[in-house]
Amino acid sequence: MIEDLATVYAAELARRIRSRPFIVGLVVGVLAIALVGKLPAFLDKQVSSANAVVLIGSATLTARAEPLLAANDRILGSLPLQPIDDAFLKRHGAAAAIELRAAGDGLRVTVFAHDPGSVEPGLLRRELLPLQLELTTQRSAAEVKKISAIPIAIAAVGSKFSSAKQAAAVRAIAYTLIFFLYLLILLNSQLVTASVAEEKTSRIAELLVASVNPAALLSGKILASATLGMVQLAVWIATILFLGAGSGGSQAAASGGGILSLGSVLDVITPGIVVAFFVFFVIGFLQVSTLFAGAASLINRTEDLGSITLPLALPVVAAFFIAIATLQVPDSTLAVVTSYVPLLAPFVMFTRIAVSNVPVWQIAVSIAINLAALYVIAVFAGKIYRVGMLLYGRSPSLRQVWSVIRS
Amino acid sequence: MLDVDHVRKEFGSVRAVSDVHFAIEDGATFGLLGPNGSGKTTTMRMILGILVPDRGSVRWNGAAVGDESRRHFGYLPEERGIYGKMKVREQITYFAKLHRLREPELTKRIDRWIERLGLSVYADRPCGELSKGNQQKVQVACAAVHAPVLLVLDEPFSGLDPVNAEVLLAVLRELQSNGTTLILSSHQMWQLEDLCSRFCIIAGGANRAEGSLAQLRSAWPTRVVRVAPPSEAVRNLLEGVAGAHALARVDGAIDYQVPAATDFAALLHRLVDVAPVTKFEALEPSLHEIYLRAIGETAA
Repeated sequence: MIEDLATVYAAELARRIRSRPFIVGLVVGVLAIALVGKLPAFLDKQVSSANAVVLIGSATLTARAEPLLAANDRILGSLPLQPIDDAFLKRHGAAAAIELRAAGDGLRVTVFAHDPGSVEPGLLRRELLPLQLELTTQRSAAEVKKISAIPIAIAAVGSKFSSAKQAAAVRAIAYTLIFFLYLLILLNSQLVTASVAEEKTSRIAELLVASVNPAALLSGKILASATLGMVQLAVWIATILFLGAGSGGSQAAASGGGILSLGSVLDVITPGIVVAFFVFFVIGFLQVSTLFAGAASLINRTEDLGSITLPLALPVVAAFFIAIATLQVPDSTLAVVTSYVPLLAPFVMFTRIAVSNVPVWQIAVSIAINLAALYVIAVFAGKIYRVGMLLYGRSPSLRQVWSVIRS
Repeated sequence: MLDVDHVRKEFGSVRAVSDVHFAIEDGATFGLLGPNGSGKTTTMRMILGILVPDRGSVRWNGAAVGDESRRHFGYLPEERGIYGKMKVREQITYFAKLHRLREPELTKRIDRWIERLGLSVYADRPCGELSKGNQQKVQVACAAVHAPVLLVLDEPFSGLDPVNAEVLLAVLRELQSNGTTLILSSHQMWQLEDLCSRFCIIAGGANRAEGSLAQLRSAWPTRVVRVAPPSEAVRNLLEGVAGAHALARVDGAIDYQVPAATDFAALLHRLVDVAPVTKFEALEPSLHEIYLRAIGETAA
């Protein structure tokens, strides 16, 4: 059995590594990572141009306002009071002009904007509050700054993170890994499905099951695909680290966007996260791909592949979204319950492990339940596969499939 | 020795095989005959262990067929399958390895089969680029490369042109002489008649007739006598034989069906006594006729 499995594994690996879907998946993944890496900078540029403003008012007032507004707006310059119209904004390449006047009881602000909807009065009010205090209390900027500096200490209670920055960095990495988990499981399960469907539709299946135990055949395929998944993952992570070298480090990770640098990854990733990722990737991949392979053995035409695998992919999609929600609330009832449910747990439990302190017994129970589920899926899918590979003509009804499982 | 012992196989409410039984001696060539849907392929799949009988058993040298015995079996299914993108040599290598063939024997055997089947020029081309006949040769190589002790061939001649059919026939004779036990199904009865030492005709999932060609013929109730020239006296005498009736006139001769128990030597004497006879033949039934009669009985 092991020798047969090794032969199928080697042949499948050689065949799949040269196949178009694998190469395309690998290259598209690398390009997508590069694109996603450049996206934040591109978006920053777009946002930055949307926030370009000109300050209008007395030189004293604009000079005092400029540092207060610079955190969220790109200040193009300051000009004396003058009429503002569309031509003015276009001439200065600004999205808005902020007119500042000092009245007896404080500051008067008028915003002239191409898009009034983009102006946030609340934010502007908070930003200009120190200036308002200076004017109304007749205190110096330094005094206002001192008054405003309320000491705030953050104490992490029951958290695995020592700082908000570290928490944000881990969430960013966990988000990236969940996305990889999703891509790897679905892409590689599709490869297994395509392989089974190819052998079924090309009619070589009968020759194969006459030569080798179907269990060895199916296992060889799935393990080869899992290996290719690991290769893809290694290439993708290398791409991230390569493109991320010299980028913003932890700051990039903490912002939740952009390429993660080697430094930022090593800062926050723990051996536990790495082990959890691989354990749950293997369990999740085996569950999904085995299910897909069993289903693929029932089709007679490759065109029918989508209709039979789409319903099976839905739990994976659902698991992805639950995992994303779990990033923010890792101990919610939904997260805790679904971290035991087969097909969902590989995503949700991994996410909980990454961003919270999950009791060891919960991890052990989840792994045990999911390994047991994997065994059941393998037995059922194996039965379907064994019969399905020889079944031609009309696709079997659900009742027939059920009778095969029960047999 | 292969022993197929009253096997039955059902798929839901459909009974594909109800009761098939036969035994094949080592090194024998066995013809499994039957119309489409008679249960031949299901029987072959049970022999190979692809399907498990619901009742009865398949035993090879006294033991149930399992993974180990299957490793020494070869199979050419009726529905030919091939990896279109895999090269010829790779495909044969893959199946050889699945049957545990290892170096240095592996390369030697593969080279030999590629050469034997005239596939040398295609060895490094993807199978999908080959003609149907050449693809079939690749499949034969995949089925036989590991020198199986039992080779099951389901309709091996279908789709082959006469030249390639001759090549396959020669390969089968070679395997025969090497002591390989062969099970063949084919609708080309004349090819099987030459090749096989025993036959089993099945219809409706059950045995209809089984034995060597001589045994099958001996069970045939009638014979055909061909006499020339077809004179009035000859006709009158043959009409007088109990159970005889006239068939067609063929090439200046006349055919009469007579009971198998007829004393042909005595009949010839009587014919010579009444008229000049230049030709007298007692024709044995062909495998084709025996087959048609066996499945015809089923239809009735």
